[in-house]
Amino acid sequence: MKARQRGSQKERKFPSMAIECLVLGAGQQVGKSCVVVSMNGKRIMFDCGMDMAYHDHRRHPDFSRISESGDFDKALTCIVITHFHLDHIGALPYFTEVCGYRGPIYMTYPTKALAPSMLEDYRKVMVERRGEEEQFTSEHIVECMKKVIAVDVKQTVQVDKDLMIRAYYAGHVLGAAMFYTKVGDSAIVYTGDYNMTPDRHLGAAQIDRLQLDLLITESTYATTIRDSKYSREAEFLKAVHKCVLGGGKVLIPTFALGRAQELCILLEDYWERMNLKIPIYFSSGLTMQANMYYKMLISWTSQKVKETYSTRNAFDFKHVLNFDRSMISAPGPCVLFATPGWISGGFSLEVFKQWAPSEMNLITLPGYCAAGTIGHKLMSGKRTKIDLDKDTQLDVRCQIHQLSFSPHTDAKGIMDLVKFLSPKHVILVHGEKPKMATLKGRIYSELGIRCDDPANNETVCIPSTHHVEVGASNTFIRSSLNPNFNFSKISSEDESDSRLKDGKFMPWLQVKDERAAEGILVEEKSKRAKIVHQDELLLMLGEKKHDIRFAYCFPINTDNLEDTKSTDVSSSSNALSMSGRCSWLPMLYIKLSDELSGGNIQYFGEQIQVESFSVSLCLKDRCPYRIVDSPPNKCEAVFFCCTWSIADEKLAWKIISILENLDYGTC
Amino acid sequence: MDRDLPSSCEQSIRSPSENPAEDSLSPETLASLRSLVITPSTPDTAISSIFQTLTRSLQLSRDPLVLHHTLKLFSDLASHRPSLSSSVSELVRSHALLSSDSTRLAAESLDVLASIAERGGTPVDLDDRSFVSLCFGPSVSVRSWLLRNAERFRIGPHVLLTMFLGFTRDPYPYVRKTALDGLVGLSKPGVVEDLDMIQGCYCRAVELLLDTEDYVRSAAVRAVSAWGLMLVAFNLETKLYWSDNLFVKLCSMGRDMSMEVRVEAFDALGKIEIVSADILLQTLSKRVSGTTKGMGSFGQCPAAEVESSASSVAGVLVHGLEDEFYEVRKSTCHSLRTLTIISAEFSEKALNLLMDVLNDDSMYVRLQALETMLHMATYGLLKVQGTHMHMFLGSLMDGNMSIRSATRKILKLVKLPNIETFKLSVDGIIDNLERHPQDEADIFSVLFHIGRNHGKFGMSIINEVFKEMELASEGKLGFDTARVAALLILAISALLSQGQHACNIPPIIFSYAVTLLGRISVALTDIMNQDALLAYLSQCSRSTRFSAMEFNLREDKPRLPAVTIASSSHSSNEINGTVGSPFQQGEDVAANLQYQAMREPMEVASSHVGYHLEVQDEVIRSMNLIFAKVKDIWPLIQSGFTNEVLRVLRSFKEELATFTSGSLRSVGAVAFALQYLRVVKQLAKVWEHFLPARKLCSGMGELDIALGKLETRLRELKSRFTGLSLEQELQILELLLLTCTLRLSKVESYCQVASLKKLSMTASHVESILKLGSIEPSNFMSEVGKLSYLTRTSSFGAPCDPFLFKELLKYFSLEQFVVFGRIDHIKAELVVPDNDSENHLPFVPRLPVGIPCEITLHNICSENKLWVRMTMDDESTQFVFLDLDLFGSSDEVRKFTYVVPFYRTPCAFSFTLRICIGMECSFEDVPPVKRYGGPDRELTFLCQEKEVHLSMVGEH
Repeated sequence: MKARQRGSQKERKFPSMAIECLVLGAGQQVGKSCVVVSMNGKRIMFDCGMDMAYHDHRRHPDFSRISESGDFDKALTCIVITHFHLDHIGALPYFTEVCGYRGPIYMTYPTKALAPSMLEDYRKVMVERRGEEEQFTSEHIVECMKKVIAVDVKQTVQVDKDLMIRAYYAGHVLGAAMFYTKVGDSAIVYTGDYNMTPDRHLGAAQIDRLQLDLLITESTYATTIRDSKYSREAEFLKAVHKCVLGGGKVLIPTFALGRAQELCILLEDYWERMNLKIPIYFSSGLTMQANMYYKMLISWTSQKVKETYSTRNAFDFKHVLNFDRSMISAPGPCVLFATPGWISGGFSLEVFKQWAPSEMNLITLPGYCAAGTIGHKLMSGKRTKIDLDKDTQLDVRCQIHQLSFSPHTDAKGIMDLVKFLSPKHVILVHGEKPKMATLKGRIYSELGIRCDDPANNETVCIPSTHHVEVGASNTFIRSSLNPNFNFSKISSEDESDSRLKDGKFMPWLQVKDERAAEGILVEEKSKRAKIVHQDELLLMLGEKKHDIRFAYCFPINTDNLEDTKSTDVSSSSNALSMSGRCSWLPMLYIKLSDELSGGNIQYFGEQIQVESFSVSLCLKDRCPYRIVDSPPNKCEAVFFCCTWSIADEKLAWKIISILENLDYGTC
Repeated sequence: MDRDLPSSCEQSIRSPSENPAEDSLSPETLASLRSLVITPSTPDTAISSIFQTLTRSLQLSRDPLVLHHTLKLFSDLASHRPSLSSSVSELVRSHALLSSDSTRLAAESLDVLASIAERGGTPVDLDDRSFVSLCFGPSVSVRSWLLRNAERFRIGPHVLLTMFLGFTRDPYPYVRKTALDGLVGLSKPGVVEDLDMIQGCYCRAVELLLDTEDYVRSAAVRAVSAWGLMLVAFNLETKLYWSDNLFVKLCSMGRDMSMEVRVEAFDALGKIEIVSADILLQTLSKRVSGTTKGMGSFGQCPAAEVESSASSVAGVLVHGLEDEFYEVRKSTCHSLRTLTIISAEFSEKALNLLMDVLNDDSMYVRLQALETMLHMATYGLLKVQGTHMHMFLGSLMDGNMSIRSATRKILKLVKLPNIETFKLSVDGIIDNLERHPQDEADIFSVLFHIGRNHGKFGMSIINEVFKEMELASEGKLGFDTARVAALLILAISALLSQGQHACNIPPIIFSYAVTLLGRISVALTDIMNQDALLAYLSQCSRSTRFSAMEFNLREDKPRLPAVTIASSSHSSNEINGTVGSPFQQGEDVAANLQYQAMREPMEVASSHVGYHLEVQDEVIRSMNLIFAKVKDIWPLIQSGFTNEVLRVLRSFKEELATFTSGSLRSVGAVAFALQYLRVVKQLAKVWEHFLPARKLCSGMGELDIALGKLETRLRELKSRFTGLSLEQELQILELLLLTCTLRLSKVESYCQVASLKKLSMTASHVESILKLGSIEPSNFMSEVGKLSYLTRTSSFGAPCDPFLFKELLKYFSLEQFVVFGRIDHIKAELVVPDNDSENHLPFVPRLPVGIPCEITLHNICSENKLWVRMTMDDESTQFVFLDLDLFGSSDEVRKFTYVVPFYRTPCAFSFTLRICIGMECSFEDVPPVKRYGGPDRELTFLCQEKEVHLSMVGEH
C-alpha cells in the first residue's frame, strides 16, 4: 500500500528530490532545441539541435555544461529526439561521433528513417555549397544512426530499471512525438514541436491525461491565435480552380516533405469531388520518394488517411503525374509542384521564369520565405518586375496567392494542452522572449500553474512528487476496500462570493469517500512507517481517547428576553421565577430555528443541541467558563453555558453571536 | 447418438449421489451436466435428477467455484426448461445465498433470479437494504454489476440516486463510469424534484469532467448535460444562468484529447436551447473578444470565472468543425442546427464556417453541413453572400448524389441577395444539369422554384440570353441542350412570380418551351399537370401582355414558399395547423395538392413550431419528413433510376429503424411507414418494367411476381393498420388502382378479367369514399374512374385496350403521405412453446393432433376474422377459425394459449407444419377461389410463419 506524500522527506535511493532542468538550447529563442533534465538521479537529453543562424561554435549547444570532463556516457542516461527537423537533431552526429557520446538514443521510426537524408542534405549544403569546414561526415551520420533505438507511438520503453519513456503523437511533421518520461514518482512531458489542430495529412497531437510534475513545451507562436484553416483552404482551392478553368497553369513551389503532401491531398480530394481532369504534376523524384515514405508510414498520418487506407492509400495520388521538362511550355492548364519552396533556384525557378509573365497563371507561396529568395520578393508587395540577376529582369504578371499552413500549434493550442494536462509546473522553450513572457503570465493567471521561460544555459529546479512506501494494517486495508462515502452540504459560512449570485443562495451538495482519510500514519519502533486504521491507534498506543471540547458561559439580559418572550411565548407572567427561567430555552429554540435555517436543531428540555454544540442554562454562581463575571444588573441577567467540539467551531460562534445579539440588539 | 445420452447421463448423475461423502462436483461432471441440460432431447427424468444433484451441491458445497458453476447450471436449467424455472427460483431464493459471505455469489444468484423473472417468473424483490449492503461489499466487479443492473431489481430511485452519487467517488474508474451512467438514467423529470439534489448531481458530474480516464469523462459529459438540462428547466428565473453555466462546462470539453469525449460534448451542446449571445459568439472566435476582457462580464458567468470561462469557450465550434475525426465534425455541424436559431448574428457567422465545411473530405460531414443549412433556410436564417457562392455551388458538382440533391433543396428555399449571385446560381444549376443529366427532373423543379422566388432576376436573365436561344434555334434546333431547357423553365417560372405585373419575356420563348413539354411536365408534376402546362404555355406564347392571374391554373391559391416563410410566426402557426390535419382546411383537393407541393419545404419549419407543442411526437414528425422525401424520389422511379431509388429507400428504412423505442402511438406509425416504404420499393421494381427503354427480355413471369408482391404489400398496408383517415385510405386505394392499371396495361397479362373486376371494385370503393367526404379525387383517380365506368357499362368482356390503361399511367404521381393521428398496427405473435428441431411434438398418424400455441394479438377488434393457417410440406393447407369472443375482451393486447387442432396428420415418422395467423381483408369483396371451411376472402398474414415439428409417438 502506498500513500502519497509531497515534500522534503529525504530518501537514500534518490539523492535529489527536485527536477533539474538545464536548457542548453531554444531558451528564449527559436532554434537548436536541447534540454537536459535531471530527475531522481537520471539525466535525459531532449533533442540535440543546431542553430542555422550561426556558423561558429554557437551553432551547437554548449555540451561542456553537461560534463566538464567530457565523459558524456556517465553524465547522460539517454538522448531522446522528438523529430527530424535540423533544429532538433542537427547536432546529434557531432555529439555522438565527435564528442563521443555512446549511450542510447531514442526516436520514433519515421524520424529514424527520415533523419539521415535530412542530415546528409544539410551536410552537403554546408560543405559543398558554402565550402565550410565539415562538422561531421556521411560516415558519422551512418554511425550515429546505428546507436538509435526506434520507438513507436504509445510504446512504453524501459530505458533502465527506473527510467521509463513513452512517445505520444505530436502532429507537426511525419514522426514527430512528445515524450513522457518517468523516473520513480517524478514524471514530465517534453513536447518538442507539436500541432494541436489536424491538417489533411497529419493528425493533431494526442496525449493521455497524465499526472505530471513538469511540462516542457515549445512556444513558437506564444501569442498568435490562428483562425480556422478551412477558409484559407477554400480560398486556395478557389484560386487554383479559377486559374485552371481559365486555362492557366498553377505553380506550387514546395519543399519535399509535409507541405507538398498536405496540398496535394487537398487538391486530389477537390479534383475527385469536382470531377476535374486537369493534370497535377510533381516535378522531381525527391517528392515522389517522400511520398513513398508517407505511404509506408501510414500509421503516423491523419485519421482520415488511416481510415481510407484500406481502400485507397491517400498518398497514391490518382491525378498526379511525373513532370517532364519539355512540358513547361506545353499548352493547356495544369498544376505543378516543384522544389525548392522559396523559388531560390532549381526547378521551381526555371518554371517560374517561363510562367510568371502570363496573367493566366498562378503562383502560390508559403507563409514564410527566407529573405533574399524570389519567394520573399514576391511576397513583399505588388512587384511587377523582379531582378533575377544583374542583367535579367522578369516581368511578373501572373497572379500570386499566399497560403500559410504552419505545422506549429498556436497560443490557444499551447493553453489547451497545458489545461488538459494540468501539470504542476510548466517550462517554455523554443520561442521569442517577449512573447514567452506574455504566455507565461497567461498560464499563471488563467490556469494557476507556475511557469518559467529560462534563457540558454540556465537551470530551473522544480520540486517533484515522491512516494514513500509504507506498511498498512489489515484493518486499514479492509476498511479501504469498502466504500465509505458521505454527503454534506457546505454550510453557509463557507460560501464564497462566487456561490452567491444575484443574492440567490446556491447550496452545494458534496460527496466524499474518505476511506483513506481514516488511516493514520505512524512510525513504529523499527522506524518503519505504517498506516493503521484510526480505531486501532488507541489500542496500539495503549492510550485513552480524549475529546476536546470548548466551553463558554455568557449572560443574556433578561429585560430584553422578556420583551422577546412576551411576543414569542404566550404564557409570560413571572419572568424571574424559576419556572419562567425554564421557558427561556424553548424561546431560544424558536429564535435559533428562525435564524438557522436548515441546521439540525434539537431541543431536549434541559439543553438545545445543534450538531455537537449544546447550550443550557447555567445555574452555578461561579462557572469556570464564565468570561464576564458580574453583569451590569445581576438579577436581570441569565447565564447560558455552552460547549462544542472543534469541528463545529464556526457554527458555535455563529449561534453565540445570535444569542448575544438578542441581548445587545435591543439594549 | 441420441440414444446413448440417457445412459451416460445417468452415470454422471449417479456418481456423486453414490458417494454422499463427496459433496462437491468436479468441473468435469459439471461440464457434462451442462451438456445434458442444454440438450433438448435429454429426458425429463434425467433433468429432474440433475436438478436434485445440483440442489444437493448448492446446499452442501462450500467451494465458491463449484457454487458459481452450480448457479450457472441452474440458470441454464431455468432457461432451457421453463417448467423448472419456478422451482429453481424458489431454491435459489430459499438457499439464502443473498445473505452469504460472498457478494459475488449473491450477485450471481440475483442474476439467476432476475433472468427467470424476465422470462415471466415472479419478480425479484431485492429490498433496498440488501442492495446497498451488496454494493458496499469489497468486490468491485459485483459493485459495478449491481449498479449496471439496478433497474432489474426495482430499487427505489432515491436509494439509487444515493448509490450512484456516492460511487462517483469510487477509486475504480469503471465503477465511476457506471455510476455516472446510472445518474444519467435517473435524470428524468419526476424522479428527482429537489433542487439541491439536482445541483448536487450536476456539480458532482462537473467534477468528474476532469477524470483521468477517457470513458469516465465521456460519461461525465453525458451526466453533466442531462442534469444541467434538468437545472435549466427547473426554474424560469435561473434558466439563463444555468444554461450559460452548462454551455461553458460543455465547451471546456470540446478540446479534450479523446474523440469520444469531444463527440459527446458537441452532441450535448446541440441540446441547449438558450444561451447568452456573447458566449455563443465567442464559440466562433479563438480570440477572447475585447468586450469580454474590457467589461469583465461573460454571459451570466460569475465575475471570478469570466476569464477562464471565456478561454474555454473561445473558438470551440471552430475547433469542432476542423477536428481530425469526422464524427466530431459531423456532431458539431449537427449541433449548429439548434444553436443558429438562438441568435441571428451567430447564425450569420456560423454560416461562413459552414460554407467552408462544404470543402470537407468526409461526405457525411458535407451532408450534415448542408442539412444544417437547409434547417437554417427554413428559418430564414440563411443569408447567402457572394463570397459563399463558389463553395456552395461547388456542392452541385459533387460526385455524390445526396450532396447534390441536398444542395438543390437549399436552393429551392434560399433568398439570393442580388442578381450576380442569382446568375451564379443559375449557372451552377445548369452546370449540374450538364454534368449529371440524371438529376434533370429535380433540377427543373429547382429552377422553377428559384425562378419564382426571384422573378425579377429571372426575367432580366431571360432577356439577356434570349439572343443566345434565338441563335440556338436558328441552326438545327438546339432545344435539347440542357442549357436551353433550363432557361425555358426559368422563363416560365419567372412569369408566374411576377403575377399581375406585365411581363416582357418574348412570347416566342413559350412556344419553344412547348417542344419540351414532356420533360418539363415530368419535373413539375407536383405543381401542374401536362394539360395545364400546355394551355399555359400556348396562352403565353400568344400574348405578350399576359398575366398569370388571368390564367386559371391549378395555381388558384398560390402560396409561394418564400412568401410564407418570410412572413411572421402567424403563418407558421397556420402551417402547423395544416400538418395536423392537412385536408380539413382546404375545400378542394386541387388546392390541397398545390398546397402540398408547396408545403414540403415548409414542413421542416413547421416541425419546429410543433416541437414546442408536442415533443413526444418527434417520431411522427421525422416520419412525415421521410414521407416527404419518398414523394421526392417519384421522378427517379419514373425515369428508371431504380438502383438509386432502392438505395435511398434503404437509407430511409435505416433511419426509421432508429425509432424503435417510442410512444405507443409512434410504434404503429413506424410500422406503417416501414410498410409504406416496402410498397414504394416494390412499386419502383415494378415500374422498371414499364419504362420505354426497357427491352422485354426479363420475361413476363418476373413482372407478374413483382406485381403480386406489390399487391400483397398493399393489402397489408391497407388492412393491417387501423386509425387511417379517409384521405390516407384514399391514397392507398389509389396505389391499388395503380397496381390494377399496371397489370392491365401489359398486353401479356393473362388474368385480365380478374384484374378488371378488381379495378372496378376498387374504383367503386374509391367513389364511395369520395361521396362521404368533400374530397376531390386526383387526376389519376378520376381518369381511372371514367375508364372503369366505360368498361362496366359496355358489355362484359368488351375489348379493354392495354394502351388505354397505359395512357392512364401518365396521370399518376406519388403523393405525400402525412401521418398525424394514431395509427395502430394489427399484428400477432405466435409461439409454440417447447418445440424446435430437437424437441418434437408427438402425434399419432391419421389422428388429429393439438398444437398448443401461445398467441398474442395486438389491436385486433372483434370484427376482424382471424384464421390459423397450417401448411404441410406438401403444401396442403388447413384453416382453423379463431373465435375472438373466446379470448379476453381487451382490444389492444390479447394474450392466450390455444390448442389448434390439426386433423390430417400424415402417415409419416415426422413432419413439419408451417403455422401462421391471418386476417380476412374486409375490403376485398371479390372472393378468391372458395375453399371448403376456409376463409371467405384473401388473408393478410399478421405474423411470421412458424415451423412446428412433429414426430410419431414412440419415435421419441
